[in-house]
Order: sequence, then structure tokens, then C-alpha cells
Amino acid sequence: MSANRIGAQHLVSRLMRESLIDKTVIAGTETAVRAILPSLNVIQIGGLSIMDRGQSAVQPLLDEIVANQQDHVQVVGVGAGVRARHVLSIGLDLGLPTGALASLAAKSSAQNAYMVSCLLAHSGFVYLEAPFIVQLLPAVLAAARGAVFNGIPPYDLWEHPPAVGKIPPHGGDAGSYLVGEVFGARTVILVKDVDGLYTADPKTHPDARFIPEIRTAELVGLRLPTLPIEPVVLELLSRAKLARSVRIVNGLVRGNLTRALAGDPVGTVIHA
Amino acid sequence: MLELTDNAMLTELGRRLVSGSLSDAAIQRATEATPDIAILPWVNVIKIGGQSIMDRGRSAVGPVVDEIVANLHRHKMILGTGAGTRARHVYSLAIDLGLPIGVLTVLGTAVAWQNAQMLQYLLAKHGIAFLEPEGFASLPHYLMERGAVICQGMPPYKLWEANPEVGRIPPQRTDTGCFLIAEVLGARKMIYVKDEDGLFTADPKKDSSATHIRRISVQDLLALDLEDLIVERAVLDLMRSARNVKEIQFVNGLRSGQLTAALDGEPVGTIIFKAGNGDGA
Repeated sequence: MSANRIGAQHLVSRLMRESLIDKTVIAGTETAVRAILPSLNVIQIGGLSIMDRGQSAVQPLLDEIVANQQDHVQVVGVGAGVRARHVLSIGLDLGLPTGALASLAAKSSAQNAYMVSCLLAHSGFVYLEAPFIVQLLPAVLAAARGAVFNGIPPYDLWEHPPAVGKIPPHGGDAGSYLVGEVFGARTVILVKDVDGLYTADPKTHPDARFIPEIRTAELVGLRLPTLPIEPVVLELLSRAKLARSVRIVNGLVRGNLTRALAGDPVGTVIHA
Repeated sequence: MLELTDNAMLTELGRRLVSGSLSDAAIQRATEATPDIAILPWVNVIKIGGQSIMDRGRSAVGPVVDEIVANLHRHKMILGTGAGTRARHVYSLAIDLGLPIGVLTVLGTAVAWQNAQMLQYLLAKHGIAFLEPEGFASLPHYLMERGAVICQGMPPYKLWEANPEVGRIPPQRTDTGCFLIAEVLGARKMIYVKDEDGLFTADPKKDSSATHIRRISVQDLLALDLEDLIVERAVLDLMRSARNVKEIQFVNGLRSGQLTAALDGEPVGTIIFKAGNGDGA
């Protein structure tokens, strides 16, 4: 009997006997990725910034999505909002770990996404849970050019403990970005209640300048105390292979989403 | 900012959370001071290697299963499985086809799932069930009733897996998935069952001058900047910010008794620990 017989039973492949942790092996896999759904536009509707404002903010935005349905394939991610903040606060007080907090918060954004899907149902949009995004998204898009999903990624109990504190780092912005990245989407648009990025908070600094376009590394270098998007998105962007930018637009201004879908300069674009 | 809640019901931190930005570093720091409960402090998470154990078939899996059975009434165990050679094959193929990380993660999960199913068939007669991530709320019941459950080791990230810094192999695989189960549950131990006596200064399969490391801090290990490691780098990164898991242990599943010794708290194999106390840096 040869020594090989005692060892693992391998399938022949390029990675067959290699350690997938070996740096050289990993570097050897650096090849081109194809876009699976290159016409897709991912639109992330903010929880606190849009949803929690109710009809006055949500309805005009959804009308704009419907008006763009003929011209653009849109999947709509929806973020959590104040209910997630509330359940985080209770969960933290009870001593729950980050993974448990993440699974609780994801239910709040699921509620928001389900409400959005009900309001867009007349145009054929359906709410897809994560397993159905994996299996059914192309079919749904072929039928209706639109779908709604939970912005918070399905990390649940497996959410990363953050470097500081216990707040789950991957929220709706991160989840929507990752959907854009995996499908090689045409655009990732984060719809918020601010015009985009400023060099400082315009409410307290009248001399703050608007930033129409910036690179991830530059933005990290500015060390802004708060951002209108989740900081983890910058990390994800820095490792982008397909979705090499995100655009932040003010969803309270009519026409902004349409301009962003058309590729017109509106809001702030953050490049990888 | 909108007035959306009756603040009287909330803690001081709660008031800041509902009205402030979650990306505000001061709010994140304030959550450092909140308590931590261990959800299942008596459970041990054990990862059974894919390539290192499962792919060897009966000669390696049989003794590991016997050892698990012998420990059923002594220790509570969550058994996660690795993927292995079929994952390598499908990753190679998918990379060649130009498919993205998220799709590779979906494909790799299926392999870890196959291994979990096989392990479950071997343990079924002892009353051991297999749980999908969606069924994890039933964990306490199965553990109390039967002493162990089986799950597949991949985290349920599916298409939402993030890209690595370099290359196209999903960076967070079954080592990471099992680690995060231990972290979120506040487990007693995180034990990796592989086919080496632990960590070496180089891959002992390829380099005969490699020496064994019994105990090393995650900080020191990262500083060594080794070309290859016994564990996914994501685990080492996450260990630095983990609040519950303070050390992980690697044992050789091809040596009978090592898993039991580790479960009994003996320092067999290699232990990677987090130096300092609660230092998230």
C-alpha cells in the first residue's frame, strides 16, 4: 500500500494539496471576476434617514423607483432604523453578544423591507429573504425588473465582534453594497437624508465644503468623526473587484434617485 | 433629528443610541462598558477538519467519532465540520469560470454541509441531530438532551461574503464560522481537530525543519507573519476583538485521546491565546 493511500482522498484540482491559508496559494487565485447581473442597480433605502419618516419621505421615493422601472433593473435594500436602535439598547443592557444583537436588528430591517415590498407589490416587486436572493433573483427580475431585500446581511449569530464596543458593524449599507459586489451591479446607490459628504458637519461648521467625489483612502484620511454611511463599507470598497463605487444621495429631494440611476452627478460618489 | 421614542423608558446609552449615529466612535466606546453574558458557558465548540479528517475516510473519522461518543456524557459539544478537497475542486473550477467570492462561499458551504451530514449519519444512533443556522435557537434543547449537535462549519454569509485583501478564495470559512459560534455563545472551549499536533513554524508536511509551537499569543503569531498558518487568518483578526473567546486549541485527531485531553482542559496540541485583558486593539 502506498503512503498516499493512508492520506486524504483528494480530488484533482489546482488547489488540491495546497493550504488555502498559504499566502502564495491565495495570491495565485488573483484573476478576473465576471459580473453575473451587470445591469443591476442596488438601491439602499436608509432606515432612520428615510423609513422612520413615514409616508412623506417614503412614498415619493417609491414613486420614483416605479417611474424608473422600465429603464432600470432595481433591487431595493432597506435598512433598519429606530426600532433596531431600541432593541440594541435593550440587548446591550441585558448583556447580549454582538451576534445576538445582529440577529435582533436584522428583524427590524426585515420589517422595513417587507413594508416597502407591500408598497411596491402593484409593480411586481417581491420581498426576497437571503436564501431566495441566492436562488430566485434572476427569475424575479426577469418577471418584474425589481425586488426588495433586507439590507442587513444574513450574518446573524455569525456577525463579527467589532474592534470597539458591541454594535454589529454590518448594517444595511454593508449588506446592500455586498449584493452589488457579488452580482457586479451597475450602481450601488445609498439613499439617505443628507446631500452626501461634507468636510465637516454643515450644521455646526458653516465653512464645511461639499465633497462630490472622493476615494476611499482619502476619505479615511479625513478622519471625519461621523459618516452618513457605515464605516465598514469603506473597508469593503477598498477590496472591491466589481462594484468599485457607491453613491450617496438625498432621498428627500425628488429626482435625485433618477439622476443617480441615469449616471448624472448628484450626491457624493465614493470610489474604491 | 426625529423625535421617535419616549426617552423615559431608555437607559442613558439607549437615548444616545436612538438619537445618535451608530458610526460615532464615542457611542461605540460607550457600548464597551455594557455587560457580557455567556449564553451557553458550558458548551464546547469542536471543529472537525475537512481535508485533515473527513477526507481521510473511516481510518481517521472512525476514531474521532468513537472519542466523541465516549465524551457525550462528560462534555456538551457543538460539532462543526470543515469542507476539504471537494471545496478546493469547486473553488478552482469557479475561479476559472470567473465567479465572485459570494458564489464560491455558497459552493463551499455545500461541501461543509455534506461532511456534516456524513458525520451525522455516523452519530445518529446516539441521538445526535444536525442543525442548520436557522435552527440554532433549538441548540440548548439538543445539548441538554443529547450532549451534542452537528452543524456545518461555514458562517451563513452566502452571497454576502466579503472579498479578501488578496485573491479570490473566501476568507471566512469553517474555522471562522466555528469560532464565531463559540464567541457568540460564550463557549467554554474552541477546539480545532486537524491532522497535525498543532502549530509549527512552517508546514511540517513540506518542511522537515519546522518546530512545534505549544502556546503563542495571537499578537505574537500575527507578528511572525508566517507564509502559512494552521487556522484561517480571519480567526486571528476576530480573536483580537472577541469579548468571550480568549483562546483556541488545535489538536491532532489522528492521535487517539488528544480531543478528550483538550476537552478535559489539558494543554495538548497548540493553544493560541489573546494577550492582555479585553484589549480590543
